[in-house]
Amino acid sequence: MDRGDTTGAVVQVRRRVRAGAEQIFDLWTKPDLMVRWMSPFPGAVDCKASCDLRPGGAFSLVMSSKEASREVSGTYVQIDRPHKLVFTWVGPLTNHVNTLVTVELNPRGDETDLVLTHERLPTSAILEGHTKGWGNILDHLADTVSKDL
Amino acid sequence: MIETEARKEAASRTARLNAVFAALADPTRRAIIERLSRSEARVTEVAEPFPMSLNAVSKHIRVLEASGVVERHRKGRDHILSINTRSLDEVDGWIERTRGFWEQRLDAMESLLRELKKDRKLGARDRKHGSR
Repeated sequence: MDRGDTTGAVVQVRRRVRAGAEQIFDLWTKPDLMVRWMSPFPGAVDCKASCDLRPGGAFSLVMSSKEASREVSGTYVQIDRPHKLVFTWVGPLTNHVNTLVTVELNPRGDETDLVLTHERLPTSAILEGHTKGWGNILDHLADTVSKDL
Repeated sequence: MIETEARKEAASRTARLNAVFAALADPTRRAIIERLSRSEARVTEVAEPFPMSLNAVSKHIRVLEASGVVERHRKGRDHILSINTRSLDEVDGWIERTRGFWEQRLDAMESLLRELKKDRKLGARDRKHGSR
C-alpha cells in the first residue's frame, strides 16, 4: 500500500490545571508520582513505574492486581522541562502498537494550560522523526463521512 | 489460552484499523466514501466525476475494499459498491476510547494535585506551630 503507513488519527485533550507547570511536569516524569495517578485501574493492587528521563530513554508502568497484569511502556522523544514532553506509548489502549503522546504546558498565571495530543502512528514515522503533518482523520471523518451515515 | 486469543483479536483489530486509516488518508478515496455515503453505486458511477482513468479509480476502490470500508456485490452484470459502516465505527471507537482514557487520567492527576496541596498546607501549619 502506497504511503499507507504515514497516516494516523489524532486525539487532543485540553485542560486548565490549577498548578504550576513545574509541578505538573514532575507528575508526568517522576515514578513515585506517576504511580499515584496514571494507573487506569483503581483496583490495581500494585503499580510500579520506572523511567530513564532522557531522549531515547525508556519508561514503563506496570499495574497488577490478583487477576491480571498490564503494562504501558514507551520511549522519551523530547524533554523540555517544564514546557513540553514527547514520548511514545504502547499498551492495551493502543492495541500494542506504537503511538506518540505530546504534553504541552503553557503557564497562565498561577494556572497551566495542558494540551495533550495522542497520535496514532507507526514506528517507521517515529524513526524518521516526523511528528507533524499527519492529517486529522477525525476532522475528515466528521466532515465527509460520518454525518451522512 | 484465553490470553492468546485476546491478543490475536487485538492484533487483527489493529491491522483492520491501520488499513482503515490508510484508506482514509487519500483525498480521492475520501471522495469515493463521500459519494457512497449518499447511496450505493456502480463502479462506473463512482468513477465518473474523477478526472482520472477508470483503472486509476479502480485501484483506489480496491484499497477501500481491502480495508473493509467498502464492500462490493453483484447485481446482474453490475458491480455495486457500498459502505461498510462498521469499519468506520471502529475508527470512532479508538478515538473515543483514547479520549475517555486521558480525560479520566487527567481527572486523577488533578485530584492528586489537590491532595498534594492539602499535604503541603498541613505541613506548613505544623511547622508554624512547631508540632509534628
